[in-house]
Order: sequence, then C-alpha cells, then structure tokens
Amino acid sequence: MAKKIKQIAIYGKGGIGKSTTTSNLTAALSKQGYKVMQFGCDPKADSTNTLRDGSYIPTVLDTLREKGSVKAHDVIFEGFNGIYCVEAGGPAPGVGCAGRGIITAVELFKQQKVFEGLGLDFVIYDVLGDVVCGGFAMPIREGIAQHVFTVSSGDFMSIYASNNLFKGIKKYSNNGGALLGGLIANSINQGYSREIVDDFAARTKTQIIQYVPRSITVTQSELKGKTTIEAAPDSEQAKVYIQLAERIAAHEESKVPAPLELDELRAWAASWSDKLLQLETGVVVGGEQAGI
Amino acid sequence: MSEFLERPRTACALAGALSAIGNLPDVIPIVHTSIGCGGNLANSVAFGSGYLGGGYCNGGQAPSTGVTETEIVFGGADRLQEQIKNTLELIDGKLYVVATGCMTEMIGDDTAGVVSEFRDEGYPILAVSTPSFKGDSYHGYDIVLDGIFNKYLPKAEDKNPKLINIFGLVPGYDPFFRGDLEEIERLLTAMGLEVNTFFTPGQTFENLASAPGAALNIVLSRVWGVELAERFEERHGTPYWVTDLPIGPDATDKLLREIAGRFGLDADNVTEKGNKEFYGYFERCADAFCDQDLKFYAITVTNSTYAIPLARFVSRELGWVHTGSFVTDKLADAQKLALQSEIPLKFATGVQEIARSINTDHPQNGAQRYFDDLSPLYIIGSTLEKRTAAARGAKHLSVSFPAYDRLITDRGYAGYRGGLHLFEDLIGQIMGVKQ
Repeated sequence: MAKKIKQIAIYGKGGIGKSTTTSNLTAALSKQGYKVMQFGCDPKADSTNTLRDGSYIPTVLDTLREKGSVKAHDVIFEGFNGIYCVEAGGPAPGVGCAGRGIITAVELFKQQKVFEGLGLDFVIYDVLGDVVCGGFAMPIREGIAQHVFTVSSGDFMSIYASNNLFKGIKKYSNNGGALLGGLIANSINQGYSREIVDDFAARTKTQIIQYVPRSITVTQSELKGKTTIEAAPDSEQAKVYIQLAERIAAHEESKVPAPLELDELRAWAASWSDKLLQLETGVVVGGEQAGI
Repeated sequence: MSEFLERPRTACALAGALSAIGNLPDVIPIVHTSIGCGGNLANSVAFGSGYLGGGYCNGGQAPSTGVTETEIVFGGADRLQEQIKNTLELIDGKLYVVATGCMTEMIGDDTAGVVSEFRDEGYPILAVSTPSFKGDSYHGYDIVLDGIFNKYLPKAEDKNPKLINIFGLVPGYDPFFRGDLEEIERLLTAMGLEVNTFFTPGQTFENLASAPGAALNIVLSRVWGVELAERFEERHGTPYWVTDLPIGPDATDKLLREIAGRFGLDADNVTEKGNKEFYGYFERCADAFCDQDLKFYAITVTNSTYAIPLARFVSRELGWVHTGSFVTDKLADAQKLALQSEIPLKFATGVQEIARSINTDHPQNGAQRYFDDLSPLYIIGSTLEKRTAAARGAKHLSVSFPAYDRLITDRGYAGYRGGLHLFEDLIGQIMGVKQ
C-alpha cells in the first residue's frame, strides 16, 4: 500500500517569519527521518533559500515560460539533508496573475503524480501572505493540503491575516478542502503577546501548536544562509523547532475554524488596546507578570 | 431569485466593439483576449443580425492575441506587442483599434501602455477597454466610438457648418443599421447637408476623420450614443440632439423640419417628395390592405431604440391597435426615464418572461363565444418571438436582434422608404401565409 503523504500548508502575513518557520520545520522533520518536500508558493521564490545555503533555484513558472512545458523533476532541487526544494515562482511584480501562477504550478505537480513517485512523507507548502484571491487559496483547496497552519505574532495585522485565512479555510471546508491544524505563535517573547494569540485562538476555536520566541540564533543562521536546525542544531531555538516538528508529525485531526467577522475582530482588537493601556499605566496590577 | 441567461439579445462589450469596428471603413481590430473570444463573438452578429457576416479582417479573421495560460500568469503585454507589430506589417488599415476582453483586463495588462508605444512611433492606433464586466454590446459600441472620436481624433480647427454626424444605431444589434443610416443620409443630403453615418459601405475613412468638425451630432436613440455625444461636445464643442429614429412619413416629416429649422434650411421639397413617394406606393396597396381587413393588434419586442418609433408607426401610420411594447435591452433607471412617452413600455428580456407576460395580460378565450382574445395578433420582435407567436396563432416578423430567420442587406425601416419597407414586410408575411 502506498504510503500516506501528509500535505501541510503554512500561511501567514508577509514578513512574519513564515519561510523561516517553514524551513526550520522542514529541516527538523527531515532530521527526524522523514522524506520532505518544501514547496514555496510565493512569486519572490525565496522560501527554500535557507535549505540551500542561501541560493535561489529555477522556478516552475520560469521553466514553463522558457520551455513551454515542465517535467516536474527538472524543477526539484535537493537541499539540506536531502530535502526536496521547489519554488512555484511567478510573474514580475505588477504584471500578470501570480494567483493563477500558483494554481498552474501546483496542478502541474499534482498531474504528474510527483509526490507519490518520490516516496515522500511530507509536502510543506509555504504560501505568500494573505489569502488575497483564489490562486493563493489553491493549497487549501480540494485534493492538495490536508492541514493548514498559520504563523502569527501578537500584532493585529498578523492576526487579521490569519483570520482571513480562517475564512478561506471555512469556505472550502465543505468541498473537501484543508482544515486548520493550528496556529504557530511566532516572535512571542512578551507575556502580553502570548495572551493575545491565546485569546484569538480561543475565540476562533483553534489551538496554538507551538510558541516560537524571537531569537538572535535564527537571525545569525539566516545570515549564513542556513536554517537554525542546520547552523545551530543544539541551540534552545532548534529545540523549539524540533518540538514543533514532532507535534506536527503527530498531528492528525484538523478542524474548521470559527473566524471572526470584521466588526467582531475590530471590537476584539480595541478591547486588547484598552487592556494594554491599563497594564502600561498601571491601572490594573499584574503588568509585571504580563511582561510589561 | 437571481437572473438566468437564456437566449440572450446581446453579447458582451467586446462583441459590440468588434461589430462596430468591423463596420467602420479601413478600421482594423486587434483583439487582446483569450483564444475563442473573437471568433465566437463575431458569430453572434455574423449570423444573428440577418447574416451580417464579417468583412475585411473582421469577424473570424480579426487579428487576436489569443492569450493562454502563460500570458495570464506572466502578463500579456509582450504577446500584444508582437500581435500589433505583425498586424501593422500584414494588414492594411487607416486605424487600428486594440479591444480587450475579460482575461487581460482581470490580470491588469497595461494595454494602453503598449499601444502608446506604437502611437509614439507614429502608428494610427488606439486601445479601448471592453471586458464583459463593463457592460453589454451596446456599451461596447459607445466605448469604441468614444475612443475614436473623443480620445484619438484631434480637435477640428474649423467647423463645417453643414456637416452632421449620426449616432445611436448599434451595428449588428440594430439589424437594419445600414439601411436606416443610408435613408437618413439620403434625406439630409437632399436638404443640402453633409452627413457622416460611418457604418455603411458608402462611407470612407474620411467620414471618420472629418467628424470632429461637424456642426451637429444627431443621436437616433434616447439611450445609446447619448453619453458619447455628451463627451463629443465636451471635446469638440459640437452640440448634440437626441431624437427618435423616424419610421414612416409622419415621424420623418417632423425630424426633417426640426433639422431644417436648426440649419436655416427648407425641408418642404424633401418632405413633399417623400410623402408623394410614400403614399404613391401605399395607395396602390390600399385595396389589398383594406379589403382583406389586414388590421391587427400589435405587440413589439425590440431594443429601446426601435420601441417607440415602431409602436408609433403601427398605430399612427397603419392604424393598428398597438397593445404592448417590450424593451429588451438592459437599462439603468435614468435610461428608462429617458424613454417616457405616450407609449407605455415594459422592460423585459427573457423570451419566456415576455411570452408569459403576453399570455397573462391577454388570456386566450377558452372557447367562450364573446371574448376579446386579442386576435388577430401580430408580434413584431426578434426571431426568438417566433415560437411565442406560433403558440398564439399570431403573425410574426423579425425586426430586432437576433434576427436569423431572414437575410438583411440594405433594407431599413427609417424614413419614407423605410416606412414602405416595413409595411411591405409586415403585410408580405401574411400574404405568404395566405397562399
């Protein structure tokens, strides 16, 4: 019997640490003995850089443009610890339709039954920012990923992007689309930001699968063109990613989230703004415990 | 309940644009959209408008970028550039119009940018934005003419005090546009005026080029071409007059007198000759018309341009009982308001919807002896009304789009001659059946 491939999509607002988290997750899964492919779904095509010593690889769409057709194996490149790296790529900024590009690239892989042929355990899609249109929802649509994780900090705009993603997941959930595995809370150092993401997760009926603190180790590793797992395997930060990988490997059941409506989300954010102000000005005791 | 589209009476903006471009002298379309759009849209009028067909480098031959997935993902600018270059090289024309479709508009191709590069090199070319979401074919007509007259052609230095431009008849979607325009041109020319109608075989590119210098724009539709004429006035300072298409002597007399008044001319010669001609022919058939009692209840199903003129002709000129006008083009509230007259109008597009409305308003007698069952009935509509008419035992003539049960060349219903033609066609249908 063919081995069941676990396909996971990682979403989150641009600049929130999505590719960093994804690459470290991929590297950690690979170190645990799994066969993994990381599929970058961003026209910038830099998702897999830290798995390949900072180098860029030819993208599916660039190859399609140049040659007219693509054999999937021509655009799969090996990275750290034998991880398969693919970049969907896309048009130059400001022209064409990047969303359609993602659909084209993912469908091409699906049609050529690449994942089965490689004997993969995991395919991890690293998807650009917000779910702005149907193209960027491709990995959560029918027959692609089974589980979606979102990377979010405690910042409102990042949570807003996650909430939009939840709306997308809910929309496709009746049609065999991917369900939500949980939220990866990134750059969580201060107590209040943890409280904010916890509160958001509770309200949207999802779970926090891992808290990832902001760490200079990550920055140092990235500057070397590597993941933390590769550059600093024994660091505290690496342990966080290893734990994340274990949890995701063990994760089985994803759920339909309960996204907040825009008004609710705004009201919720406003309530947190009041709380933070009270903590800061000392109206309510407990600021120290909250990390302020 | 959401609307559904069944047997449509128009197509998208691009279709209207292509039909307009395809009937302009020496104007070449370049279609910037997906494979299939150009050909399929050309067919809508090539067959649906009395077999209007295509023409030189139009219809199925229109140059097209035929974009596919690569252009959708990476943008179609390069492909468009290539297509324009090849078209300029291979096809003779005096003006090239790039018309866009949905796909290239959705992905935001900078069509105007590509076209302006060629324009800077001195090529006669312009771009118009005609995706379906901008409106239907009637809007496409407006968009193309707005592009040519109000964006492309330079302002006229001098006005020609005798020159008139005619707007409002939409090529293809007004199936008799050529015959109607030719009759208007004939009459106004006879009054000493010069007339640009643009879309008939007798017109040349010079008619387009001279248009900005016209003294007056006449819009023969209360809806279509009006905005175009407004912008024309803003750009070129030419005033416009919106009126109804004249069908038959009564309406034509009024139109000619109004125009004569505006230009300080005398219309009497032309109106007298026109009336003499019309009634000279008409009276010869009067015996057949009266003795055979060829009087009908009439229901019309047409676009907004034809609705009022047609209703007036059958009631005022033929003395029939006009009992309903269905206006089938999709109109905004302000446009509906512009159609207010003594003729009550109903706004409906669906074939079944119209059939139901006729049957509800005029139930059939159900074997009662004394019953006003609206008979004999004549439905003057499109080919789509043929079945509705047959189901009620009514006579039927196709005069509106789609008209594919007849062939149309230079036939028109406007003016004196057009009135005779309409009379001839309406009665001719019955004579044929009577044999």
